[in-house]
Amino acid sequence: MAQLILDHVTKVFDDNGSDIVAVDDVNIDLEDGEFLVLVGPSGCGKSTTLRMVAGLETVTSGEIRLDDRVINDASPRDRDIAMVFQSYALYPHMTVRENMSFGLEESTDLDGDTISTKVTETAEMLNIGELVDRKPRELSGGQRQRVALGRAIVRDPEVFLMDEPLSNLDAKLRSGMRTELQRLQEDLGVTTMYVTHDQTEAMTMGDRIAILNDGRLQQVATPLEAYHQPANQFVAGFIGDPSMNFFEMEMQGDRLVGQEFAYPLSQQTRESLGDAVRVVLGVRPEDIELVSEASGDHDYETVVDVVEPMGNENNVYLNFTADSDTTFVATIGGMRSVEAGQPAVARFPESAIHLFDAETGEALKNRSLDELENAEPRL
Amino acid sequence: MREFIFRLFGRGRRPPDSDGDARPDGGTVTKEQTVGRSRLRDALDSDLLGSLPFWLPPALLIGLFVYGAIGWNVVISLTDWSGLGQPDYSSLSFAMYEEMLSDPTFWTATQNTFVLLIAFTVVTLLLGLLMAILVDQNIRFENTFRTIYLLPMSLSFVVTAIFWAWMYNPEIGLINVALRSVGLDFLAYAWLSDPRFSLAAVIFALMWQFSGYCMVVYLAGLRAIPTEQYEAARTDGASTIRMYRRVIIPQLRASTTSAAVVLMVFALKAFDFLFVLFGPTPGPSTDILSVMMFREAFRATNWAYGSAIATVLFLMALGVIGPYLYLQYSRGDL
Repeated sequence: MAQLILDHVTKVFDDNGSDIVAVDDVNIDLEDGEFLVLVGPSGCGKSTTLRMVAGLETVTSGEIRLDDRVINDASPRDRDIAMVFQSYALYPHMTVRENMSFGLEESTDLDGDTISTKVTETAEMLNIGELVDRKPRELSGGQRQRVALGRAIVRDPEVFLMDEPLSNLDAKLRSGMRTELQRLQEDLGVTTMYVTHDQTEAMTMGDRIAILNDGRLQQVATPLEAYHQPANQFVAGFIGDPSMNFFEMEMQGDRLVGQEFAYPLSQQTRESLGDAVRVVLGVRPEDIELVSEASGDHDYETVVDVVEPMGNENNVYLNFTADSDTTFVATIGGMRSVEAGQPAVARFPESAIHLFDAETGEALKNRSLDELENAEPRL
Repeated sequence: MREFIFRLFGRGRRPPDSDGDARPDGGTVTKEQTVGRSRLRDALDSDLLGSLPFWLPPALLIGLFVYGAIGWNVVISLTDWSGLGQPDYSSLSFAMYEEMLSDPTFWTATQNTFVLLIAFTVVTLLLGLLMAILVDQNIRFENTFRTIYLLPMSLSFVVTAIFWAWMYNPEIGLINVALRSVGLDFLAYAWLSDPRFSLAAVIFALMWQFSGYCMVVYLAGLRAIPTEQYEAARTDGASTIRMYRRVIIPQLRASTTSAAVVLMVFALKAFDFLFVLFGPTPGPSTDILSVMMFREAFRATNWAYGSAIATVLFLMALGVIGPYLYLQYSRGDL
C-alpha cells in the first residue's frame, strides 16, 4: 500500500534529432489505495506515463515518488510494482502456475512452498484454480485475462499498473470484468493506475480520472466532476457518449449569436463569462429536451436527420433546417417515437449549458453540482 | 479440346453433394443430362487430375534422380562390386556391412563424425544465439553487423578451407603469428597437423562460417517475440540474464530446432571443407565418414564398400531429419 506521486513528470523522445514531447509536465497524486484511471485518445501519452512509473521508460525530467522514495532511476525490480499488459504478455512456454510464480521467484526470497501456496490462493480467488497446469494457449481470452491479473495480484505489490487490460475482451466479458476488477481492487486496497482510451471504463471504474491530451494533463477529478464540471472543452467532449454538442457563438449584448441560432443569457450567466466575446456553447445530448411547441427563448425549430434507437433511449440527430450542415444530438427516452424528416422543437435549458472560451477552450461556466440529486438508496 | 483444357485447369470443382439439380448460375441441370457423363466428368473435374501437369514432372524427376539414385546406391552396397567391370546383382548380401563393422577405420571415422556433429552444432548454436542477442539490442549499424556475420556463410567451402589453412599455418599463419607477438609462443601449435587439435581446429573454422547463419535464424526468432514479454519479465523483477534464460530463450525452441537440423545435416556431409584441408587420407584424427566414403569408392574403387558407407551416412541424416519432420507433422505444420 502506498502513495504514488508524479511530480512535474516530462518525457521527451528523440526522433532523429527532433524532440517529441510525449508527456508534458504531468502532476498526479495517487492516494493510498486509490483507483486512478488515466484516460485520453490514442497518442496522448497515457501509456508512456504508465511505462515511466513501471520503469520501462526513463523520465526526462520531474520526479516519480513512491512513499517519499524517488524511483526515477530504480530498476523495475526495486519498485515493487506489478503491471498488467494489454496483450496480457503471458509467457507462452510456462503453465499458468509457472506464469504466476515467476514474479515471486524473481523479485522475492520466498521459498518454493510459500510461493506455491500464494499462487494457489490467488488462483482460487480468481476462479482459475483448476487451470493452473494449463499453458496460456489452452485458455480462452477471459481466462488469460484472469491469469494476467493473477500474475500481478500474487506479488502483492505497492502499486498495480494496468495498460488497457480489458480491451482485448469482447463487449459482454468486458463489462463483467470491469465490475470484477473494481471489486478486486477494493478488496485488495492496492493503489492502482489504470490506462484506457475507453471513457466508459474511466467513468465506471475510477475513484478519480485523469484526462490527458497531447501529453498534457487536462483535469484530475472524480468521474462525476469531470462529467458535469469539465475543466475545458476537450474534457467536455471526451467524457460522455454521445459527446457534448458544441456551437461556436459570439457575445452580442445579452445574447450569444451563432451561425444558426441565438441564445439569450440570464444576468447571472453573463457575469460568469467576464469579458469573453467568442465562446463555445456546450450542451449534453441528454440535457436537450424535445418539446412539442416552441414556447421560450431557448426553444429552436429543428428537423430530425437520423434516429439511432438504442432500446433504452434514442439518439436523435437534429438539423436547424433541412439543408443545414450543423448537426447536433439529443438523447430522448426509448419509448418516444421520432422519425427522420419530422420537425421537432429542441430546448436547451440554461441551467444545463456549458460555456467555454473559444480561444483557450477553458470552461467559463459549468452546471453546478449542487443540483445533483442526493438519492439515498432505501435499505 | 478447349473444354477439356478448361476443365483440366480446375474450373468448376463442384461439391460432391450438389447432385446436378441446381447450378450456381441459377440454371438447373436435369438428371438425364448428368447421368451418362457424370463418371468421366467427375474424374476430369477432380483436383488430382487437374493439378497433375503441375506436380507430376518435378515429382518424376525428383523420384528418378534423388530417390532412384539412393535406392540404386543401396542395391550396389549389397553387391561386392569393386575395381573395373560391372556390378553383379545376382548375389546380394550384407557382406559389406559386416566388413564395415570389423573395420577400425570405419569406427574412427564414425567417432569423428559424431564429435564433429555434436560439438560443431552445440558451439555454433551458442555463438549464434549470443551474437543474435547482442545484435538485437537496438545497436547502431545493426544491418552492417548482420551482413558481416552472415558473409562467411555465402563463401564456398573450398575458399574458406584454404583461407583457414593459411590462418592455421604453424609458421606464417595469422593465429600463431599473433600468439607469438604477445609472447604466447608455447601456445603456437601446429593446429592442423597435431592430432590433438586438428578436429577442434576444423570445428572452430566451421563455427566461424556457420554462426552467422545461426545468428540470423535466432534474430528472426527474437524479433517474433513481442516486446511485452521482455517488459513483463522486467516488471516481474527478472535481471537481464535471468530474463533471457527463463523467458526469452525457451521461446526460441523452434529456431533452435530448425538451425540445429541444418547444422547437423551439414556436419554429416562436411566433405569439401575437410577434403580441401586434408585430402582423401586425413589420418585417424580428422577422418570422417564422407571422406572415407570418397576414399573407398573413388580412390580404392571399392564401389560396394563406399556405397555401404554412403548408406550409413544417409541413415544418420535420416535420423537427424526424421524426428524433426515428425515433430512438424504432429504439430500440423506439414
